[in-house]
Amino acid sequence: MATGQASTKPPDANEYGGDEISALVLDPGYSTVRAGFAGEDVPKSVVPSYYGVIPTDSGNKILFGDNSIHTPLPRISIRNVMSKEGTVEDWDTAANLWEYAITSRLTNAKPGPLAYNGLNDTENDDVKMEGVEEQEKPLRDNPILMTETGWNAGKDRERGIEIAMESWGSPAYWLARNGVLTSFAAGKSSALVVDLGASSISITPVHDGLILKKGVARSPLAGNFISQQIRLMFSQSQPPIPLTPHYLVASKTPVDAGTPSQATLRTFAPNTEPDHSFRLFQEERVLTEFKESVVAVWPGPGRLSGHAQSGGTNMDIARQHPGKPFEMPDGWNQMFGAQDRYRPIEALFDPKMALSDADNPQPSASQTVGALIQSSLSQVDVDIRPALLAAVVVTGGSSLYQGFTDRLNQELNLIYPGVRVRINASGNAVERKFGSWIGGSILASLGTFHQMWISKKEYDEQGPGIIEKRCK
Amino acid sequence: MVSLPGSLKLAGRHVLTSWPSEVSVAPECVSKFNELKLKKELKYIIYKLSDDYKEIVVEETSTDPDWETFQQKLMNAKSSHRGKEGAGPRYAVYDFQYEKEGGEGTRNKIVFIAWSPDEGTLIFPRMTYASSKESLKLALTGVANEVQANREDEIEYETILKDITKGTR
Repeated sequence: MATGQASTKPPDANEYGGDEISALVLDPGYSTVRAGFAGEDVPKSVVPSYYGVIPTDSGNKILFGDNSIHTPLPRISIRNVMSKEGTVEDWDTAANLWEYAITSRLTNAKPGPLAYNGLNDTENDDVKMEGVEEQEKPLRDNPILMTETGWNAGKDRERGIEIAMESWGSPAYWLARNGVLTSFAAGKSSALVVDLGASSISITPVHDGLILKKGVARSPLAGNFISQQIRLMFSQSQPPIPLTPHYLVASKTPVDAGTPSQATLRTFAPNTEPDHSFRLFQEERVLTEFKESVVAVWPGPGRLSGHAQSGGTNMDIARQHPGKPFEMPDGWNQMFGAQDRYRPIEALFDPKMALSDADNPQPSASQTVGALIQSSLSQVDVDIRPALLAAVVVTGGSSLYQGFTDRLNQELNLIYPGVRVRINASGNAVERKFGSWIGGSILASLGTFHQMWISKKEYDEQGPGIIEKRCK
Repeated sequence: MVSLPGSLKLAGRHVLTSWPSEVSVAPECVSKFNELKLKKELKYIIYKLSDDYKEIVVEETSTDPDWETFQQKLMNAKSSHRGKEGAGPRYAVYDFQYEKEGGEGTRNKIVFIAWSPDEGTLIFPRMTYASSKESLKLALTGVANEVQANREDEIEYETILKDITKGTR
């Protein structure tokens, strides 16, 4: 490993001969941030974008990582560095979180400056920057490729290179659109990428390797929305279905289906309870288990709210499909009929099937998958629309529901009759969840990519505005 | 010392590509293409990435106009990475001949086919072929149409004919 000052000359071509240099790939999302070495098949570091905050007498203590944020420490609250739109909201904490994601699993960097070790209030920028200059920068040997959404714009595009170059000391940087990486990883230079993640569902038209920005469409009907639908389904059931997260269960005994649980719940001494945000976060883990094992997509034909050709409603037909049992952490369990298995995700196709209450209004028709795709295609050249519909690529962790791609295919055939619709969705769950990271990993490891990095020297000469010129 | 992003030197000028991966193109790729273009004997050329994925090379050329044979070659192509083998993406240039409407004789169009099967490919070759395609395309001047093909039905003669006569690709 190199020692001494960070280099200020452009990277020597020989240094980046391909296998010798350890480039890093960082792919931030709402639920997790994926980090790893270029050239590897999967990101070795997958860290929640959520973080824990514990108030102490000397300021807030910040906790990162799965090993730290699931313990119900006194007054712990859970926040997220990302906004609901899937872009970074809290840049200071994000920079620390991403550094943690990289240094805790990937590099042997020395611990960062005192300002980062969690004992100081992170609101004080001045203290933090002084600390950085005096310490060795943690990533001074590693070029970094970061990913961004199709709707990332303006100054937000410059923050990543500032952090990489100034805080971490990286010698080189690249910013890649995750829609393009997904498209290329599917073997297509032109595609319509449908990415169903945690905070957002997005449609990204890619043409000849470039995103068509006007055609980028997104809505919040994604993983977190589906979780909220399940919460409403539970609370609106007769009787309501209790949602008790694992950490509150001290012990449980088996009970019959549909009967109240007989669990001993954990209690907290006054003023030692975790914050309500912690409880919501832990409930989310139960909802994720429910989504992975129970929720499925109504296979059609038609919508769940529709009528069958043979007469009767589709809901009646759904009731005949197989149900799935589910057990809560406190032992409560029930068989969920297929009509309830299909319900939480149906709103993505049909907003009037959304469960709602005062805090969760029914989504608008323009937010559904079909409407987003129509909106996206209406903004691109009419001549390329057929090519895009023939190359739909489905990705994202929340796209893994049984029946999703078949239903999407039906929807598109309804909206675009007579047009060749072809949907490509990897059968490999790892590729769906980490597709853009994997694309970035391959790209950054190609020997031929190494001349393309933005070097520290170019950054010093031209400033963060170089991103707009070089990374489209 | 750092060259322009995604650029290729053509006739002394730097030309910007949309994607920053500059794979080298073996000179034979261009010379065979010129032969196809000018002497009108070669019917098609199939290109592949070298085994180390650093260079685009000619895999095969042919004077045989039989479309089925050409299609089979693409569908049987293989690619390896880290000891695993899968279906192989390829690039091809085909001198496509068809009947003009109204029976006014035949017409030739040189079609560039970016073949990357959805089924059976490993992610590494898929990604590398997709991000290296522009390097080859820029080196070949006179291509009338480009076709992106990921399934068998997308390299049927009729499908490609429809695409290039409609002028949508």
